[in-house]
Amino acid sequence: MKWGSAQIPVIKKMATEPAIKGISPDETLEACARQIIVSYFHEMMSYKEGAKEGTDIEFVHEMRVTSRRLRAAMDNFADCFPKKPFKKHYKKIRAITRTMGAVRDLDVLIVRFQNELTNLTEVEQADILGLIGHLQWEHKKARKPMLTLFEELEKTNFETEFLEFFRG
Amino acid sequence: MAKAHKIAGLKPLRSYHENARIILSQRLEEVYTWEPFIRDETRREELHNMRISIKRLRYTMELFRVAYQNRGQQSAVSIYTEFLAMIVDLQEILGDIHDADVVLAVLTDYASQLGNQERQIAVLPGIVRLIARTEKTRKADYETFLEKWDQLSAAGFKQKLLSFLLS
Repeated sequence: MKWGSAQIPVIKKMATEPAIKGISPDETLEACARQIIVSYFHEMMSYKEGAKEGTDIEFVHEMRVTSRRLRAAMDNFADCFPKKPFKKHYKKIRAITRTMGAVRDLDVLIVRFQNELTNLTEVEQADILGLIGHLQWEHKKARKPMLTLFEELEKTNFETEFLEFFRG
Repeated sequence: MAKAHKIAGLKPLRSYHENARIILSQRLEEVYTWEPFIRDETRREELHNMRISIKRLRYTMELFRVAYQNRGQQSAVSIYTEFLAMIVDLQEILGDIHDADVVLAVLTDYASQLGNQERQIAVLPGIVRLIARTEKTRKADYETFLEKWDQLSAAGFKQKLLSFLLS
């Protein structure tokens, strides 16, 4: 990942609200809940390859935000589904949010400190560059659990199982 | 981070709109469980939890937008959008406060790590400068948040939103 001063990425505050097609106020909650969860899941997974590659920090951001939207939906609709399998899937989504969060938080900090450099003296800049170097090393470490989790999800066929369960 | 409150009284086989009332009113109440702590600027954890509850309410309102859009009244659509914008505004200012808290923790930890390595308290002018700058913006953001909260409270925000959601 490149962090040179000419290449400081812009930090986007919030991913845009994904549109979910085919939801009707008169449809049953259960039918809508299935559609929403499946739709958010597809959206979240669409960022996975970009997050794995790691050259554009926005993929991690988008995947994390969508995983949060998905969790919020699952929290709201939990009673529409059998408890035990629901909990198993929920835990995996929570793990995705957590591992992505560790990486994203460091992305945001690095960019923030890069932006602070312009308003500091040379001596002060040296301190902050030291801190940025330290955070970049932490960032490298934080990507490992995320990549390990992705590998595990692929090995255990998580995507197929999740979709089978929520499609009903 | 506090867990989401469990939604009580859900009716999976009843309409999406009927359940919107059940879920949204409980998500709104969840936000207000953190209100007793907001007058103390040092309650970082509780301010953070309020932000998360507000974010949950925001995402839930976005999910149920369609349930309020299809009433055929243009005014209902714009009222819902206005309420949602106020929620987003609160979330963002609490987000700025949380970001400042994280930055302050990182700067302090980093300085003390270096201090331990060198067996002395590290004097790092850049770190000291950023701590002072971040404390100042954090204070300003916290005051802005309280102002916004008080304005909304004086305008009866919670009751108005609740009445709208339940109507």
